[in-house]
Amino acid sequence: MMDCSTAKSKLFPYVDGELTPEARGEIEAHVARCGACRRLLDLEVAFREAYVDRLRPDPAPEPVRERVTALLGELGQGRRGARRQRRFTRSVVGGVGAALLIVVGLGAGMALQSHLGTRTTLAELADAAVEQHQKLVRDLLPPDIKDVPPKAAEEWFKKRLAFNVNLPDLKTERLRFLGGRISHLREVEVAALEYEVDGNNVSLFIIPEDAYRKLRLKDKPRFKVVSHRGYDVVIWRSQGAGYTIVSEIGDRACLMCHAPDEKLEPLPRPSAHL
Amino acid sequence: MDSRSEFQDLVHQYLDSLYNYAHVLARRDAEDLLQESLARAYGGFPAFDRSQSFRPWIFTIMRNVQIDRLRRRRLQAPEQPLEHEKEAEPVASLDNPLCSIPLAPEDILLRRETVEQVREAIRHLPPLLREIVELRDIEGLSYREIATIVSRPVGTVMSRLYRGRNLLRTYLVEPRERPGEKGIGVRNDGL
Ligand SMILES: [Zn+2]
Repeated sequence: MMDCSTAKSKLFPYVDGELTPEARGEIEAHVARCGACRRLLDLEVAFREAYVDRLRPDPAPEPVRERVTALLGELGQGRRGARRQRRFTRSVVGGVGAALLIVVGLGAGMALQSHLGTRTTLAELADAAVEQHQKLVRDLLPPDIKDVPPKAAEEWFKKRLAFNVNLPDLKTERLRFLGGRISHLREVEVAALEYEVDGNNVSLFIIPEDAYRKLRLKDKPRFKVVSHRGYDVVIWRSQGAGYTIVSEIGDRACLMCHAPDEKLEPLPRPSAHL
Repeated sequence: MDSRSEFQDLVHQYLDSLYNYAHVLARRDAEDLLQESLARAYGGFPAFDRSQSFRPWIFTIMRNVQIDRLRRRRLQAPEQPLEHEKEAEPVASLDNPLCSIPLAPEDILLRRETVEQVREAIRHLPPLLREIVELRDIEGLSYREIATIVSRPVGTVMSRLYRGRNLLRTYLVEPRERPGEKGIGVRNDGL
């Protein structure tokens, strides 16, 4: 005959349905004769009926559903899809999942092109940067490092990224450095930095120079400006790296690198609306 | 049905569960983790044994993806379920119970808590315990399935489940004891 402490110890496995029929039988025989244990079991069952059985996973938010649906739509679609899917798998095998972000970002209508080795266009870079910017602002991508001066963050990135990461000094109090993380634009590992300029969110992405070169941009004008999905994207190259700013505040984002009283050439008009 | 439609249907059917578990593992990175996991799972889906359940299979993939992500980032955010795994912890078994008396839920029943209050208390559990309680009490997976997902022995799962449920009950009886709120009185590991 089972003793009370053994019976109590098997209470959870019993109500979880994890016991063998033989062990179940022993518990049932015990509670048939032991009021104290029977009462514990009844409470446990009542608790389950009142709460545990009614617990459900938190529902996925609607935007997540939509993006997952778009992603699933991209998986292995027809002949072109078969090709896409191969790239897709290859990129994941390569250890970088950021490709997915782009699949979703581009939506079902656009072909998933220029993945590995092939050339990325300015439009694709802008699209990926805007997507990341939105995620950073919405806290969907938490910072790896925050609450430190830009120089400390720069050191942190230099230890982890194989290219020359230079964070702008803060030249004005209107600019605040919020934090940064190692992120991916298309498949490229980048430093993603969040700033606030006059209370507006501004993201700065520092990308390796060879990734910048693959964009095959002309040298002039030095700053390329595109307007994409309502965001202003400025792209340029400096000291062995490419820089991309995403904001909603046009050339006020230049405060990132230039003091407010500095005289600047006006930025070129957006060279493209994407 | 072709394999692609089958995969899509299963993902849609279990999307809440998938997103929920991604959130347990990666918090604010949940959506990225979900997307990356879906891609990896789709790649492996032709080899998926159809006699097995889908959720344990894809949860295992998701957890491995998250381990790879943390490794890649070389920096672990605090309080993620995958963090303290190397620590020694007590292991229970059906024959060698760890603690013999679970807290009776009588007071909780009398307090007439809402289901949402219980759900919220689960969110406050320490990550390792929360993961197991979610997989068992919300997803309804078996001990063995959970053990496979977290690649730990069944005894470890039982022990975490036991500690998680008991800690949850203390939260519900004494809501102020939840970590992160006023009057912390409970050790974070639930012992
Ligand atoms: Zn008894």
